[in-house]
Amino acid sequence: MNVKVKIRRFNPEKDRRPRWSEFRVDAQPTDRVLDVLQVIKENQDGTLTFRRSCAHGVCGSDAMVINGRNRLACKVLVKDVGRSIVIEPLRGLPVIKDLTVDMEPFWRQYKSIKPFLINEDDPPYMERLQSPEARARFDDTTKCILCAACTTSCPSFWADASYVGPAAIVQAHRWIFDDRDQGAQVRLAILADGNGVWKCRTIYNCTEACPRDIEITRAIREVTRAIVTGEVS
Amino acid sequence: MSKLARVTLPSALRYRGGWPYVSWLLHRISGIGIVFFVGMHVVAAFFLYAVQGVAGDIANALTTFYESTPMQVFILFAVLYHAMHGLRLVILDMFPRLWEYNREAMWVQWALFLPMFLLPAALMIMEVTI
Ligand code: FES
Repeated sequence: MNVKVKIRRFNPEKDRRPRWSEFRVDAQPTDRVLDVLQVIKENQDGTLTFRRSCAHGVCGSDAMVINGRNRLACKVLVKDVGRSIVIEPLRGLPVIKDLTVDMEPFWRQYKSIKPFLINEDDPPYMERLQSPEARARFDDTTKCILCAACTTSCPSFWADASYVGPAAIVQAHRWIFDDRDQGAQVRLAILADGNGVWKCRTIYNCTEACPRDIEITRAIREVTRAIVTGEVS
Repeated sequence: MSKLARVTLPSALRYRGGWPYVSWLLHRISGIGIVFFVGMHVVAAFFLYAVQGVAGDIANALTTFYESTPMQVFILFAVLYHAMHGLRLVILDMFPRLWEYNREAMWVQWALFLPMFLLPAALMIMEVTI
């Protein structure tokens, strides 16, 4: 099937403003949008720039706006988006070139919530054991691949880049509710700040955008609850 | 480079977030509408009582505007919608576990909102006085 692909381009060396390029590609309905981009880059325009790595929805590098919604190009099939595909870079992050955005602000948000195990006890001889029930408590938020689809779909983040964003809160949730970790109160204090959970307006764009189907709004509100009650349960 | 990171209003409105997003946009629009409506009252009252002379005409014009049927129907919509959407969010925020029923909660919200809005709106438009 013949698909029309419209891509929002920006080359900092030549363009003063973003522009649109249009391509026509022969694709199978079961091809992924990432395959289509790859075909364009290989056969029609070698300068087209985008990130990809695993091509299997694991590394999180190819999140982009496909037909108006944040998705992973490697997880969306052509038959699901139709014959006319419009692709733009993620909103709210500076564009480096074409579909590649500068993820630095996103990583800063991520680092701010201390995304690592905090445990002052001496490490045991083997690994730190955990019951299956305790592990299940934060299972959902371990699925995050840090693709930034949620944070860049959030109107609160669009309006104010200092908001820590859904992805960072999801990551914080993953550690706060882990019973091997002792840093919950530290992270809760960070997220109780004005740029933390209170900027979430329960819009659900993040939950709709997540390619891993993480219940993001729920995670954010569980963290909020922990802040309000002071209890992590 | 950072200039390109700014998300403009048209670009934000073009995002296809689905029904939850549309519903939130309506929440914001109704909120701004309420502020304008109340603001008009305040301004009209100010002109009527604080400023003498020609200002009375401005006050009358404003009063005629916000007392007109379309404006009354709009404010009914704005206040009711804003309140019901807000209540849904309060409930979902307090009980994160209910997250998965957001769709259903939206249906309930509309099911309650529509009759509460449409019936009085119809009466207002047909100018039925009780
Ligand atoms: S390329 Fe790795 S997630 Fe899509």
